[in-house]
Amino acid sequence: MELAKPFEMSQPAISRHLKVLEDAGLIVRRAEGTKRPCRLAKPGLEAIDQWLEMLRGALARNYDRLDQVLAEMKTETNPETGGKG
Amino acid sequence: MTTTMSKMTLKTVGDTHVVVTRHFAAPPEAIWRAFTEPALIQRWLLGPDGWTMPVCLCDPRPGGKIRYEWSHGQGQGFSLTGECLEVQPPKRMVHVERMHLPDPTPDNHIETTFEADGTGTLMTMRMTLPDSTTRAQMLATGMEHGMEMSYVRLEGLLGVGSRD
Repeated sequence: MELAKPFEMSQPAISRHLKVLEDAGLIVRRAEGTKRPCRLAKPGLEAIDQWLEMLRGALARNYDRLDQVLAEMKTETNPETGGKG
Repeated sequence: MTTTMSKMTLKTVGDTHVVVTRHFAAPPEAIWRAFTEPALIQRWLLGPDGWTMPVCLCDPRPGGKIRYEWSHGQGQGFSLTGECLEVQPPKRMVHVERMHLPDPTPDNHIETTFEADGTGTLMTMRMTLPDSTTRAQMLATGMEHGMEMSYVRLEGLLGVGSRD
């Protein structure tokens, strides 16, 4: 519950995120009565590799699309296909 | 750490920076347009499949504003704002940007250069590595967006900090 407060998101949505973070090894959760306290899993978080992989994936996808746009720009100098682009 | 994927390299420099290089099969003038003209930016700076950028402002002059808003057609999208600092078309751009998740992340200072390389261009982007809190936020955001498509495509995230 406490973790959900700062976000404009429902409690079930937060729980789903926490589950993903837990599965990814970024947090550790334990049961304490009805609470499920979380702590950051140091090895997971200190390794920035996961973040870098995410960045790499996002950039790679964008640049692949940019290749396509650049190819299209070459043909778009033809007025029949829409001018300057 | 260095990661290579086809024509792209991504490596960390010290504890504070990430350097990305990518070759493109077009001259620097064309790359410059694709990085600075909103109608072109909107066609590629999109992150995961299914996302669009309905709002795209880019004023490539010193002090000029950048604003990108991404949408998935439903629910909350996210946005990025920034300011251009140094603008030397078609070779070099320095700008700052931050994501709004929705709270703004710390400023990311980015230098992007475009060098003629044969008949193409070598892009080099040097950006600030976000602190661990920001990384965790961005990862979490990426997971949310990823989950809307499928649980496995987490990496799709954020056309991120990468108004590269």
